[in-house]
Amino acid sequence: MAFLEINRLHKQYGAVEVLKGVDITIEEGGFLVLVGPSGCGKSTLLNTIAGLEGITSGEICIDGKVVNDLHPSKRDIAMVFQSYALYPSMSVGENIAFGLEMRGVSKADRQKAIEGVAAMLQIEHLLKRRPGQLSGGQRQRVAMGRALVRDPKLFLFDEPLSNLDAKLRVDMRTEIKRLHQKLGTTIVYVTHDQIEAMTLATQIAVLKDGVLQQVGTPDEVYSKPANMFVADFMGSPTMNLIDAKIANGDGTLAVEIPQRDRSLSLPVPQPPSSLQSYSGKSVVLGIRPEDITDLDGADPKAEHIAQAPCSVEVVEPTGADTFVVTQLGGKEVTGRMRNATGLSVGEDVPFAFNMGKIHFFDPATELRIA
Amino acid sequence: MSAASKDTALRTGAIARAVIYSVLIVFAVFYLLPLFVMLVNSVKPLDEIRQGNMLAFPQAFTIEPWIQAWGEAQIGVQPTGLKPYFVNSLVMVIPAVAISTFLGAINGYVLTKWQFPGHRIVFGLMLFSCFIPFQIVLIPMARILGLLDLAGTTSGLVLVHVVYGLGFTTLFFRNYYDAFPTELIRAATIDGAGFFRIFRRILLPSSGPIIVVTVIWQFTNVWNDFLFGASFADFDSQPMTVALNNLVSSSTGVKEYNVHFAGAILAALPTLIVYVVSGRYFVRGLMAGAVKG
Ligand SMILES: Nc1ncnc2c1ncn2[C@@H]1O[C@H](COP(=O)(O)OP(=O)(O)OP(=O)(O)O)[C@@H](O)[C@H]1O
Ligand SMILES: [Mg+2]
Repeated sequence: MAFLEINRLHKQYGAVEVLKGVDITIEEGGFLVLVGPSGCGKSTLLNTIAGLEGITSGEICIDGKVVNDLHPSKRDIAMVFQSYALYPSMSVGENIAFGLEMRGVSKADRQKAIEGVAAMLQIEHLLKRRPGQLSGGQRQRVAMGRALVRDPKLFLFDEPLSNLDAKLRVDMRTEIKRLHQKLGTTIVYVTHDQIEAMTLATQIAVLKDGVLQQVGTPDEVYSKPANMFVADFMGSPTMNLIDAKIANGDGTLAVEIPQRDRSLSLPVPQPPSSLQSYSGKSVVLGIRPEDITDLDGADPKAEHIAQAPCSVEVVEPTGADTFVVTQLGGKEVTGRMRNATGLSVGEDVPFAFNMGKIHFFDPATELRIA
Repeated sequence: MSAASKDTALRTGAIARAVIYSVLIVFAVFYLLPLFVMLVNSVKPLDEIRQGNMLAFPQAFTIEPWIQAWGEAQIGVQPTGLKPYFVNSLVMVIPAVAISTFLGAINGYVLTKWQFPGHRIVFGLMLFSCFIPFQIVLIPMARILGLLDLAGTTSGLVLVHVVYGLGFTTLFFRNYYDAFPTELIRAATIDGAGFFRIFRRILLPSSGPIIVVTVIWQFTNVWNDFLFGASFADFDSQPMTVALNNLVSSSTGVKEYNVHFAGAILAALPTLIVYVVSGRYFVRGLMAGAVKG
């Protein structure tokens, strides 16, 4: 039985349709991350779950109860906002306890609750301060404290970490994960940082222009993207999407990438079942940068490594890895090299392609060829 | 080379500053001159004023004109001085300012945080009221006051000033609350606070500067209003400004300029005090919207 269930949710602002029939379910204790480009409707979706925005049609159920017409305060949810939304005129303690106060919890009980949450988040020493006297990370903690203290059924987070600097963001990410593991409360979390999505989620929902593209575990979304948009959106650097052709040579399929002089032909060892029908036709070949390596750097466990010489166009060292850009099928293609010493631009070197981890998409529908 | 240019930069800076300060001082003196004349002449005996030289300091200092103006001067038919009219003004100004400020705050809150279809039009119409000259509304207002049975009463004047001030107070609060983060309202909604609780607990505590601005603005306007007071007030509800006019323009007897000066200062005193006490918040409040972004 799903804990949060969203059925055929539509949301319009005047004539503009922002959410176009979204269906999502999460189990109790799940961590759903909504990702998608700016303006795709993530915040809107979250606000409709919270009840802060009305919906045009559809149904939202929390814990088996339809909450469409329930006031936000009655939905047993707590929300953490991007700006933290701490009440500027109240102390940290009052901020945390405001929701309890509004619900008529006695002063003594409120004090106890504040102390419990403050201890959990290590903000005891800040309770008397005003939000204006806190650092970004401290405000973030207080905002979480305000959500935690009510012990709601569902947490909603709208890009809670996007205002923090890079290092703090990583720390808080770990902390949120730890809190989730400890409390086991169901969470819906909006971000456009896909690393946050991959590390935190039990389920990722990818949204584009108000249409759900794919819902699945981080692994599913990453290794079996449902379409070219998801493939391109998840992962950094993004997946290489190369125009290619399927060639059928006595039963074994190969993918041919047209090049200026000769076309490059790579065997497809485990073709998806419907790829057969594409023989002779165009497809889009997807391959992630980490699956294009130097020969030494190739995954030793990979069974199907294809080699091909490619000319090096750009070398970008990032420290641990070096990204090397080459041209394939008229597109820039990035590979991730372990050891790039001695690579020089313009040189032809053998690249290793992990053919066990390639993806095919239909160029017309942009859907995954399974 | 660089040292030399820095030197000249400093020197031109000093010269420019000297010029600016001199100009400012001249203006300050110029603007303070009337106040000075009023003050000086309000503590002179009448014959000293008659001798000419309005700018001279008093030779014989007296506070008699002040006592006269406050409690004894003939205004209308009775020698009551300005005192009862001062009280009239206070009784009118305080509720008028409080009510119009409160309503303006609520309006601003609704127009920014509880927007309804057509809120723009409503705000536009309210703004419009800021630009209607007083004279235009005199007759309809008189009719309405008559219908409400408030003609000639202090309550009637309060109503007139509230209605007339609402456009401005709404404008002030709307612009201020527009910059107030909506996420705070949403957070409080989820926390379970309703319309008035959000207003009282979240918005009002952050509204200090704009309340000061609005109060100063309304206080000054309502206190200084003459036209409405002259048009709608009876003898026993006449405000200070009307009484001052009656005092100064009374045609019987000699013109007691010293008493008139004292009366004029008395009439201006409350607004002066309000401004001196909270003036710096006024400037700060007017700036707040600009800085917040
Ligand atoms: N009140 C509104 N009236 C009209 N359109 C709106 C309103 N609020 C949002 N929209 C539109 O709805 C779309 C989705 O907005 P939303 O805030 O949900 O995006 P988002 O995915 O959260 O983006 P971001 O990542 O930038 O926060 C946007 O195109 C936006 O312009
Ligand atoms: Mg958003």
